[in-house]
Amino acid sequence: MIDPTVVDLSRTQFAVTVLYHFLFVPLTLGLSFLLAAMETVYVVTGKVIYKQMAQFWGKLFMINFALGVATGLTMEFEFGTNWSFYSGFVGDIFGAPLAIEGLMAFFMESTFVGLMIFGWDRLRKGQHLAVTYLVALGSNLSALWILIANGFMQDPRGAVFDPTTMRMQLTSFTQLIFSPDAQAKFVHTSIAGYVTAALFVAGVSAWYMLRKRHLELARRSFRMAVLFGVLATMGVITLGDALGFVGAHAQPTKLAAMEGLWKSESAPMAWNVIAFPSQQAQKNVGVIQIPYVLSLLATHSLYGTVPGMLELEKRAARRIQNGIPAIEALQTLSKHPRDAAAMAQFKAHEKDLGFGFLLQRYAPNVATATPVQIRQAARDAIPEVSVVFWSFRIMVGLGLAMLAFFVLGVIYTMRNVVQDRPWFLKTAVWMIPIPFIACEMGWLVAEVGRQPWTVFEILPTWMSASTHSVGYLVFSLIGFVLLYTVFIIIEMYLMVRAIRQGPESHGSGGGHRNVTTTHGGLPRPTLALQPSSSALQRSNREE
Amino acid sequence: MTNMPTEASAVKTFLLFVLFMFLAVVVIALAIVLGEKGTWYFAWLVGTVMIVLIAAAGGALLDTQDEQAEAECDRGHETH
Repeated sequence: MIDPTVVDLSRTQFAVTVLYHFLFVPLTLGLSFLLAAMETVYVVTGKVIYKQMAQFWGKLFMINFALGVATGLTMEFEFGTNWSFYSGFVGDIFGAPLAIEGLMAFFMESTFVGLMIFGWDRLRKGQHLAVTYLVALGSNLSALWILIANGFMQDPRGAVFDPTTMRMQLTSFTQLIFSPDAQAKFVHTSIAGYVTAALFVAGVSAWYMLRKRHLELARRSFRMAVLFGVLATMGVITLGDALGFVGAHAQPTKLAAMEGLWKSESAPMAWNVIAFPSQQAQKNVGVIQIPYVLSLLATHSLYGTVPGMLELEKRAARRIQNGIPAIEALQTLSKHPRDAAAMAQFKAHEKDLGFGFLLQRYAPNVATATPVQIRQAARDAIPEVSVVFWSFRIMVGLGLAMLAFFVLGVIYTMRNVVQDRPWFLKTAVWMIPIPFIACEMGWLVAEVGRQPWTVFEILPTWMSASTHSVGYLVFSLIGFVLLYTVFIIIEMYLMVRAIRQGPESHGSGGGHRNVTTTHGGLPRPTLALQPSSSALQRSNREE
Repeated sequence: MTNMPTEASAVKTFLLFVLFMFLAVVVIALAIVLGEKGTWYFAWLVGTVMIVLIAAAGGALLDTQDEQAEAECDRGHETH
């Protein structure tokens, strides 16, 4: 049996590397399409300011992209080094989307990103625009395949356990890629990236506007970013609801933990806005509720109900008992693969095999498991409620705050008065970290909520890890934390430096044109570089 | 020989026609499969295109608003 400390350290190490990596990913996903939007306007209108915008934000995109790649590569190796049993057990399924991600999406984005950055003078406008769209598509397809793999861990479909090879085998690639969880998760994550990029661009543009710098670039970038952001935020909320709805059926324990629902209630169920869940006492304290809302949120009906964690724990205990014969049959089959009686016994209980594995943590010989050990294992079936509950609420709260920000931003920018609202511009700058925090919280909900499983209800986390020593894991964990912290510092330094420099480094005046607003809210351009508006229009047209 | 550019142009047009027809068939097939099996994937495709285009239109609209404002200012100066 693997030392529980090793399992916890392996989990911590993977969580740390993923959370660091996930600081870079959302910006790449969203900024690539925002660049495409800017370049589309450049190609359609021929105005050089949009080319400068695409080049300037493209430079920031590249800084983020490079560090995102550097932090992402290690995780694929971690599956082999730290999660070797897991990799062997589900490698046939999990490996396929990861391989496709590398061969198709990652190669695609990596190839075209070079053309995007260095091809401005070598490609025609239309060709370069196509390249930018391909970078955006490649980045998001990369996320798609990763999230298909993750979707399998959340809601395993298209695979069966083969008792003769003792591994999971892929039976339907279609079921794997069209899994409802994978679909909702991909769209939710991808669009969360759009929100992140929109707030990043809006925040930096607001910073320029506060300092009256690069106003041509900042006003246009802000306008495009808030429009991009408001639609994306509406999408991310919609998909969040879809993911919760899918999750209510696929992962009831996660949903119950997200809502802090210990006891099953009759419809219409009340929603816990605030609560302090106690894992030990299996109840909440300090609860503030809104009546009816949970039924609507979780089932889209006032008459719908979802089971509470205490009921789910009882169900888990029953499934653990049903999983015991499956484990016993598996032990027989490992010695006598042609034993028909053992195979029949296994087939009769195979859907609860994973629950039998849960019990093995406390009773390596499941035949002699005591009721106390079964209760302990059943209690493990409930994830860490307070982490899931509060991560979910922080994510949702920040999502709603971002929606309010973008709606207000759209109103101000469409009325052309955003520069007269310094408080709003300052808020925009301070809002930049918000979507990053929301994304991290979302990841915590997804992954902590899946516990105690690596593959939901099939493979428990406790038996998925490699048999390393504690010292090795502590050493590598400290190494990763130090290295990735250096990466973050480098990213911050390069980003801040590039933002302070502004778009001048690309030449063409950096979009200098100061615009002040009149009482009517309409802009009165005061030109810093050009003597007349007609000259400005000429300078804004490249061809 | 004088017909060569016209013939080349016709061939190019035909090839473009074939290419666009092929793309149209691929897009329709993709839409049918995704609409049937991957509704959220389909929603992502449509939604992303919409978000990008609306953001782009917003940028272009700002230019129009600026030009209108300039024109109004110029008119204001002329009347004074």
